[in-house]
Amino acid sequence: MKLARLSKKKVIQLLKTGGLRLKVGGFNVCLSSSVTEVADHLLCLYGHFDVVNNEDFIDFYTSIAPPSIVRRFFRAQINFSFDGYIPFKPLPYNQASAMFEWGLNWCIANYSHHYLVIHAAVVERNGQAFIFPGTPGSGKSTLCAALVCSGWRLLSDEMTLVSIFDGLVYPVPRPISLKNKSLEIIRNFSPDVIMGPVVDNTAKGAIGHVRPPDESVELGKNPAKPAKVVFPKYLEGSNTDLIPLSKSRSLLKVAENSFNYNILGFQGFNTAGDLINASDCYEFKYCRLEEAVALFTELAN
Amino acid sequence: MGAIVCYRFWDDECVIYNQLTGETHLVDGMGVEIFKLISEETATRKQLRQNIESVFELETDLDIDGLLDNLILEYQKLGLLEVTEKTVR
Repeated sequence: MKLARLSKKKVIQLLKTGGLRLKVGGFNVCLSSSVTEVADHLLCLYGHFDVVNNEDFIDFYTSIAPPSIVRRFFRAQINFSFDGYIPFKPLPYNQASAMFEWGLNWCIANYSHHYLVIHAAVVERNGQAFIFPGTPGSGKSTLCAALVCSGWRLLSDEMTLVSIFDGLVYPVPRPISLKNKSLEIIRNFSPDVIMGPVVDNTAKGAIGHVRPPDESVELGKNPAKPAKVVFPKYLEGSNTDLIPLSKSRSLLKVAENSFNYNILGFQGFNTAGDLINASDCYEFKYCRLEEAVALFTELAN
Repeated sequence: MGAIVCYRFWDDECVIYNQLTGETHLVDGMGVEIFKLISEETATRKQLRQNIESVFELETDLDIDGLLDNLILEYQKLGLLEVTEKTVR
């Protein structure tokens, strides 16, 4: 059953009593929360996600809750917890939904070592996965959102999961996180885009999330073959420039952008090596999204 | 090889992963030829020098021995090569 079939009242009830269980790509996630805004966030952005049966295995038990009763009312704060463990300092109450997204990123990055987990957006067209590794501010999520708004399939805007067993890229389609100027850029690029509430004054500035397309969520179990590894750089006033990058240098950059490359050891190196072998590699400078989308669409066709 | 390593060669570059240190190294130029040889089998210093001379067109006044010494030292520091017996130049 899709989450959208549940009433807001039911979602709030599930969040407060035992947790709401959702299928997110290949993971089953249970979220408990007493924060009403979290229910709004889920209903707005996770509407097409499947609700998992009570008897199904849960990969991540998470919660978003105030650290104490006092902090519920006075300078209200919230904590993210995973299996009862609290990995981060509390954040202001109004950042509850963003904290859930960051917390789930943390869970996947730290507990999914059957994948090489690369800090990269990944989208697919015509059976080809285009991987965009990049540090925050490189423009990978903006580019990813523009491609997805142009009909590409979203696998992830944040983490590329490359299986250490078959080398394929496994999807974890979730809301696309956009910051600051990117929010307006994507609203202008695609006025029909569904965006959750924007939270101001986070550590990263203003944050908003774009709802993933239903088709991408539907294909959340289907892996894609890696085809291109592109290191994007958004540069104000730059031309659209796709420059081939040697495979050796690309492998180093993939390793730098991976969360668990060193944990995996040889498997990490070999998985990254196979990924690079299977892909054409580029550096990419851009500032005009329309040109970028046209270029990659041509490349995929 | 003194370390547990795995590697990939692409064109005239090589990426080497050393599991003992957890470091990944990018090698190019003459370093690739040296590493190709020692990754396949134990080689003497003389063989390394001959290999370099056969692959590269080198200036006659180039200090090949000096370059080779530096490369061997660098690979030793990175744990990618082990000198098992001192040889005399």
